[in-house]
Amino acid sequence: MTPLPPWIRTLSALLWLVMLIAAGWMLSQRLTLSGDLRQFLPSAQTPAQALLIDELGNGPGSRLLLIALSGSSPQTLAAQSQALRAELAADPRFNLVANGGDMALDAIPERLRPYRYLLSATLDQQPLDAEYLRAELAERVADLGSPAAGLIEPMLPSDPTLETLKLVENWEPQNPPQRLHGVWFDRAGQQALLTAETRAAGFDPSGQAAAVSAIQSAFNTIRGTTASVIALSGPGAFSVDIGARTAREARRIGIVDSIGLVLLLWIAYRSWKAPLLAVLPLASAGLAGLAAVALLFTGAGSEPGQAVHGITVAFGFTLIGVVQDYPIHLLSHQHAGVSPWATVRAIWPTLATGVIATCIAYLTFLVSGVAGLQQLAVFTMTGLVTAALVTRLLLPALIDPAPRDLAASPRLQALWRLVETIPHPRWSLLALAILALLVLWLQPGAFWQNDLAKLTPVPDAAMARDAALRAELGAPDVRYVLTIQGGDVETVLQASERLRPALDALVAKGTLGGYELAARYLPSAATQRARQARLPTSEALRTSLELALADSPFLADAFDDFIADVASARVAVPLRAQDLEGTALHAITASLLLTRHGQATGLIWLNGVSDPAGLATTAAAHGAQLQDFKQASESLVASYRTRVLLALAVAMVLLAATVWLALRAPQRVMRVLLPMVLSTLLVVAILRAFGVELNLFHLVALILAAGLGLDYALFFDHAGLDRAGQLRTFHALIVCSLITLLVFSLLALSSIPVLRAIGTTVALGVALNFALALLVSRQRVPR
Amino acid sequence: MPAQTETSGVDSGWIVSRLARPVPMRTSFVELRNSKLLKQPLRLSGEYQRPRADTLVRQVHAPYRETTTIVTSTGGAGQATIVRDGKSRTVSLARVPELAVLYANFSALLAGDQTVLNRYYRITTAGSRERWILTLAPKDAALAAKVRRIVLYGRGAELRCIETEQAGTGQTQRTLLASAALASDGQALEALPALCRGEV
Repeated sequence: MTPLPPWIRTLSALLWLVMLIAAGWMLSQRLTLSGDLRQFLPSAQTPAQALLIDELGNGPGSRLLLIALSGSSPQTLAAQSQALRAELAADPRFNLVANGGDMALDAIPERLRPYRYLLSATLDQQPLDAEYLRAELAERVADLGSPAAGLIEPMLPSDPTLETLKLVENWEPQNPPQRLHGVWFDRAGQQALLTAETRAAGFDPSGQAAAVSAIQSAFNTIRGTTASVIALSGPGAFSVDIGARTAREARRIGIVDSIGLVLLLWIAYRSWKAPLLAVLPLASAGLAGLAAVALLFTGAGSEPGQAVHGITVAFGFTLIGVVQDYPIHLLSHQHAGVSPWATVRAIWPTLATGVIATCIAYLTFLVSGVAGLQQLAVFTMTGLVTAALVTRLLLPALIDPAPRDLAASPRLQALWRLVETIPHPRWSLLALAILALLVLWLQPGAFWQNDLAKLTPVPDAAMARDAALRAELGAPDVRYVLTIQGGDVETVLQASERLRPALDALVAKGTLGGYELAARYLPSAATQRARQARLPTSEALRTSLELALADSPFLADAFDDFIADVASARVAVPLRAQDLEGTALHAITASLLLTRHGQATGLIWLNGVSDPAGLATTAAAHGAQLQDFKQASESLVASYRTRVLLALAVAMVLLAATVWLALRAPQRVMRVLLPMVLSTLLVVAILRAFGVELNLFHLVALILAAGLGLDYALFFDHAGLDRAGQLRTFHALIVCSLITLLVFSLLALSSIPVLRAIGTTVALGVALNFALALLVSRQRVPR
Repeated sequence: MPAQTETSGVDSGWIVSRLARPVPMRTSFVELRNSKLLKQPLRLSGEYQRPRADTLVRQVHAPYRETTTIVTSTGGAGQATIVRDGKSRTVSLARVPELAVLYANFSALLAGDQTVLNRYYRITTAGSRERWILTLAPKDAALAAKVRRIVLYGRGAELRCIETEQAGTGQTQRTLLASAALASDGQALEALPALCRGEV
């Protein structure tokens, strides 16, 4: 087939690039990126894990943002705190905003006011008789004469015992911060404190980001010209911070990578067309991968709300280091006198074996049952296959059929002669392997990293401030929660009421800072009915009132509304959780009472847990369980990892089988597989020697590195005994490994643990694979 | 510039300057508190004390014992701590704005600070230096919705009575001070309004 003229070739290449850019733009319009980390978690096995996954994103700790205002005088801060609260409360992105200011009486809407006698515990010990009424009315007289009269007078006719006020006071958080100028302040009195509960789940970074920016912009408007400063803390704020950092680093790395890539290719091939041609399969691969994931995971057949995960996209683009190999092999092997099509046909078997082997390894992720890993598998496999096919079918038409022959390069020849003097290692590799095993066995410290928290590192200063704010505000603990299971909400509420005295005892003892449970706001129906029974009839109440008013300054008919309210409370249907809808109480109780699959679960948030074991025993004695989210998440990670390791083992076997099928000669198969296996062992040993605990991303990166190693070994093996072929292969592999090393070394320098894990593993893997493949897989030219 | 009066004879600047009292000071009071829930107005007697410029203490001696300590701050917000029968309750003045204002006025009056008064009220005067009436009408709409006007009655350098007309209920609350308070001792309830206005 006659080659196309150069200008047509260049034009076609540029056209292709433009098409890719257009397609990429179109795709990005339709694509929604998700940040929900739960896509990377497997389905839960135990109830604790199920609760963890359900609640870790939705639970109290994860949706609460803690806000501290400082930098101005307390009065200014107090005013700003009120303004901020008012603005955020009107924002639909927030469920509840509290600053210690008065949400007080409007927490109870009109229609629920008569229920105050069923909600309030006052009348449990104290009958509503003449004695009590007389004492209360005397107090009310004094109240009318006091400065608080304006507040109390409107409530008196219907609520002379001020049950409404008592309820509101009881609903104050336990251990609230001190109040200065009407709002919460820290103990030092320098920072105004607020809490804001977001509607978006804690696992939803984009939702959290929207909430955080809403707070920031509200504050900027309110701050005006004062010197006030806002500090945000909490899981949502941290994830936004880390997301921003990751995006910044990824962008920086992407730019440096691109520049480095272009530069390296230009140096290697001394032609400006080389980078263009090499980038085309890469871009096509990325686009194809993205499109495949978008189609398979967000199409009509998939679960609603699923989107392509940001981590998938980010990880997928590290494919740069892998997919780059294919066009480079083509470019390096091409020389004058051979048609590009012949060249590509010659290297195709080796190329294809490498692609198939790597795809098999990723196939195991498809069956892992984890959405995020499945996306990763589809992305990677589609990308690899696309790049290989593009290299095989399209690229030969575009490359220069007569570039300078790399086999003729004197520097390369000198280098190769040097390499040939290195003896074929025999026992040294065995010694290395034994050393590695020793390191693995003897290294103290945990092998596996189970702590999910380590994956999203927060600076120590920020963690300390979070802990301090949480303690000041009495905000719920993120790690411990008590759960009560029951057939329905009523059973759960009754069990909670039985548990309360025990918890109060623990608080008094000091081993528990505070707790929050639904029964505090919504008594069980049984309790409400008991209270109803204790309320006096209208006649009895009227008589008591007459006695109490005998020598009181109050008019005899001043409290008719009161009699009416008590009468309606006596016959009212007990309040249920759904009746609270539309009130501020609903926001709290809805997150404390969960109904799922015909079961009701009550959550009890905790604060200041200093004796988990004692708490667990107390709880168990009353039918509640203490959940330790840290432990549950660690067990989740551990079980997860077992499955991934199993899948990996299967992948390795399949890989070996593929290589065997392709090469058939046992000696060759050994030479090809040995570098990959040994380098994997060495990478793990080196990581462990430095005290690195391995996590999921290390495992995924190990597969990637193994796939690369296989590629190098196959090509060194395939180069055969022809010296020119060996030189060209050498050149190709040097360029490949340098590019891969560049990409992943930059990742290894990142401050984000996930990127660092992937980067170090693959960078080490590439270096070791190159060296070992060079030493082991190349065939000896007989002397 | 002090506000000009409708009927000359006395101007507010003179009144306010005469009313200024250095801290610490104390004065007895008799307060009449009206409410539609009460058979007749509540009659309280006690003592106001001003130990420091920012603190006002209201001690009620009859018909019950109660001490209220109000600490106002420059921002206008403040706290009132009410102690009765050994039980104490703290109310933020922000919750009861008319209270904050009233006590701020009181402090302003006692400090002789007319600029504060001018900022929040339209001031008109009537009468003469021997028997004057100072009327304060709130400028702020939110406050005007609660308090229609405050009328101060006095003789010479002595503030004798404060009448607060509530906007919502239309009730008038009266506080007799100093010599008027002492003079009210033994008087019938119905005679007190006249005593307040200085007609007696």
